[in-house]
Amino acid sequence: MLTDLERAIDSLIEVFHKYSLLKGNAHALYRDDFQKLLETEGRRYLRIKDANAWFKELDVNSDSAINFEEFLILVVKMGVIAHEDIHKE
Amino acid sequence: KMADQLSQLERDIETIINVFHQYSVRLEHRDALNQKEFKQLVQKELANFLKREKKNDAVINDIMEDLDTNEDKELSFEEYIVLVAKLTEASHEKMHEGHPRGHRHSHGEGLGE
Repeated sequence: MLTDLERAIDSLIEVFHKYSLLKGNAHALYRDDFQKLLETEGRRYLRIKDANAWFKELDVNSDSAINFEEFLILVVKMGVIAHEDIHKE
Repeated sequence: KMADQLSQLERDIETIINVFHQYSVRLEHRDALNQKEFKQLVQKELANFLKREKKNDAVINDIMEDLDTNEDKELSFEEYIVLVAKLTEASHEKMHEGHPRGHRHSHGEGLGE
């Protein structure tokens, strides 16, 4: 049986696919899919910058889509922010 | 904040942070994992994902050295979450072994199953 951490890791893959499978390439979040992901899953991170600014920052190869690896950069950034916030509380 | 108000992604991130703290607070430097704490975390919390690696101290230490980018012999949260990202990538790759990535997209089992 997987541990809580292992289940959380696999759950991140599920979160990405909830939005990446909406249309087009199976491993691409287009601008509107990405905005939906942030609004549904990470509204608090939109207080830092808007969906367009996040998109631009994460789309490192500038192909106008967020691929799985670019999504993982988002997860790392969100984790770092959430961890800092805990210590501010 | 109540747990049931969190989104799936927020719950995942919370678990990733809570597991880190569960081990980082054990010995001095309460917000960093030393070698002993990291080994305990790998053996307990990544028991299935790192089934082979967890049995070999040299391999665990090598993983830690790789993650310890500032070479202070401990892992900050920022360094630890890079391992989480690498394992997410690896589990996703495993899900696509023999399962298409294109328009007929499907997943098999991930790491450790």
